[in-house]
Amino acid sequence: MGGTSKALSFTVQSECPTSRARAGIMKLPHYNVKTPVFMPVGTQGTMKGLLPDQLENLDCEIILGNTYHLGNRPGVDVLKKAGGLHKFMNWKRALLTDSGGFQMVSLLKLAEITEEGVKFRSPYDNSEIMLTPEKSIEIQNYIGADIIMQLDDVVQTTFQDYDRIKVATERTSRWLDRCLKAHKRPDDQNIFPIVQGLLNPELRRQSAQEHMTKDVNGFAIGGLSGGEAKDDFWPMVSLGTKILDKHKPRYLMGVGLAIDLVVCVALGVDMFDCVFPTRTARFGCALVNKGQLNLKQKQYQTDLNPIDKNCDCATCENYTRAYLHCIVSVETVACHLISVHNIAFQMRLMRTMRENIENGTFPKFVKDFFCEVYPDNNFPNWIVNSLHSVGINIINT
Amino acid sequence: MRFIVKQNGCGSERIGRLTGFFKFPGAVIETPTSALFTQGGSVVHLTSDVLSRVFSSPKLLWVPLSNSIQLENGVKVQNDGVAKFAGLPGHVACATLNNLSEVTPSGHFEPNKVPLWTKNGKKMLSANRYMDVMEVFKPDIILAIADGRTALNEGSKRVSKAVNRTSQMLNECVDRYKAAKELQNSTLVGVIVGAANPKKIDECVQNVLKHVDTLGGIALEGITDGTVESMDLNIKTLNEVFEKVGNAIPKNLFHIIEGCWNPTVILSAIEYGWDVFDGSYPVKLTNAGIALKLSFDVTKDNDTMYLLDMVDQRYKEDFTPILEDCECLACKKHTRAYIRHLLNTREMLASVLLSIHNLHHFDQMFFYIRKHIASNTFAIFKQHITKQCEMLKTFAPDRYKGLNEAIDKQTFQKNKKIRVSEVLSSGLVSNNCT
Repeated sequence: MGGTSKALSFTVQSECPTSRARAGIMKLPHYNVKTPVFMPVGTQGTMKGLLPDQLENLDCEIILGNTYHLGNRPGVDVLKKAGGLHKFMNWKRALLTDSGGFQMVSLLKLAEITEEGVKFRSPYDNSEIMLTPEKSIEIQNYIGADIIMQLDDVVQTTFQDYDRIKVATERTSRWLDRCLKAHKRPDDQNIFPIVQGLLNPELRRQSAQEHMTKDVNGFAIGGLSGGEAKDDFWPMVSLGTKILDKHKPRYLMGVGLAIDLVVCVALGVDMFDCVFPTRTARFGCALVNKGQLNLKQKQYQTDLNPIDKNCDCATCENYTRAYLHCIVSVETVACHLISVHNIAFQMRLMRTMRENIENGTFPKFVKDFFCEVYPDNNFPNWIVNSLHSVGINIINT
Repeated sequence: MRFIVKQNGCGSERIGRLTGFFKFPGAVIETPTSALFTQGGSVVHLTSDVLSRVFSSPKLLWVPLSNSIQLENGVKVQNDGVAKFAGLPGHVACATLNNLSEVTPSGHFEPNKVPLWTKNGKKMLSANRYMDVMEVFKPDIILAIADGRTALNEGSKRVSKAVNRTSQMLNECVDRYKAAKELQNSTLVGVIVGAANPKKIDECVQNVLKHVDTLGGIALEGITDGTVESMDLNIKTLNEVFEKVGNAIPKNLFHIIEGCWNPTVILSAIEYGWDVFDGSYPVKLTNAGIALKLSFDVTKDNDTMYLLDMVDQRYKEDFTPILEDCECLACKKHTRAYIRHLLNTREMLASVLLSIHNLHHFDQMFFYIRKHIASNTFAIFKQHITKQCEMLKTFAPDRYKGLNEAIDKQTFQKNKKIRVSEVLSSGLVSNNCT
């Protein structure tokens, strides 16, 4: 099994006999990434106060950069002269960049989307800028990430207007062709198409089938995790993984909560990214299996336990909740310490899932996991339903 | 803990050793040295994991109570000292009342109390309350509580009160120290204040000498109130104080100077026999986005700047390290262009990388100081460093202007304004050294 090209070769090494979960290895120019994988987001060429060495120690194999931000600062010229983002930030492992389209729609109120591209006013000098599929790929070619994303026509997930969604879905496919045509480095960078169609199954099916006809090495499922109901979310993921080529990696964009990760791995997703673990760290929240601890709370004032006694990260090894309580939201060190733990948490969760898939114990892992999160077995319906759809029943244990 | 003078130089400068720490009997800290300045118990911007990538041997942590008193409850419950609680059990702690390089409101004294300026406002502390906290914090070195935040031009009434208050509080600290079993593993340091008035400082020294059998060292305060003006002193005036107090105190006590002094002042103090500094200087540089880059090679004339303003446009495409041949992690792995980008985008990694470099480089300065004392060439080294520091005055602040980035001009100029004033007001650049 496997899809192979110079820039990416993906091998599924184990498959869960019950669900669609699979463990594999994705060989990229800069690193061999074990899947399923969580990719922490380092927006501006840095992971919120952590050294690249620390990220390696944390077992991060691939991280994200944001094209929109990097294109502004340090700018394409600097990145070009530095020899790409890998060298600029001295990160030796794999990188993925987004297309810049999402930031434009989420950050800029004045973005106007036409067939040509996304037109917006620069927040820096107020000049009018047009981001076209060609421009996005050009910048991403200079940044030099192992995986780059096509520019897609982003519509807010909860948007209802069918015509607009249809246009966006079809335009995304047309833009994919333009991106592929503009791509200058197919030998060491991979463009992933983005399956669109929001919450409309028919449009999603169309989008996925259209993308399947292209010469690409992996796929992304986009337009989700934008405030839609969970009952609407999971069927769209499931639809995507059902249609998309199982020999190629599938990337679900913007998803990173532990419960979502477990469900979506069961549905057959291989790659995830989310700002949540590092963002919540800056607010003093540490991730644990049962959810998160808000270390600002008074109850931790004299709590001499580490954040999680089963965690082997540098933070849990050296620091107590009581100490973190004293410094959260006061010292930068607190952000760094909780970020380290939260990334370690995500990495450990992914590693545990991989091991269970390899050992053939994934369904049992899923049951145990949700029983720990919901000790009274009061599982949300969408979790029960989504897992049931791939043969895992968590209710009658 | 013991202090041993290992070797005297040509002048009063000396190499010494702090050793025999309660928890690390084998650990040795060679002096002259700088402590690592802490906030909330942590070395500023660095986690213990990152710190271990910068220093492999035990270091002296400088712990001002003003930024760490909030740890008291936690340290008490853990009952193993402030360094351990702050995740730095492999290091030695030296606790003091205030951060002398910080500007705080003046006044607010009560007969037997001094103000502690914390993030949550003012707390009035008596000697007894201070020693209560010390029993909890269990630092290896305790600076006695003092009223030391006075400048050299302070009025005599205020100085007189500061000396009286400090002397009385030292007496109380000594009594508490002698009485408490818990404090026997710590070394008590007497604080000398009142340098603005020759008569009063003599009084203060005399009172410290009364307790000379109990004290392990002395610390000098009362030469700055933390403001730029108070630090912008003629080096001769400072030297007189360094010399006078240095000579009055027995040589077997280690000598500490508090405050954010630049390398010229530090080297002068060392020349008069001072041993330990509080480490606030590299932290202030880091927070202002400045990298320290002294040349230590006395055989080579150095005409480059010893401070680099890393936000400067000129480093935008400079893919060299802060300092060629520097062994720190920041220089071995990262470029000026990257650090500038991180500063420009206000990313926290900028402060981490600058801290790594500045702390390492500052530590290297002390390494070379000891090396030159050992080989009787301290005067040459001092001259070499002083020359570099004086050169900056010719360039500053003009060399620190001139940003013209098209893309983010506005933001930049706004940042820049703050930054230049920060640099100037922090007293980092100009000390009237001549």
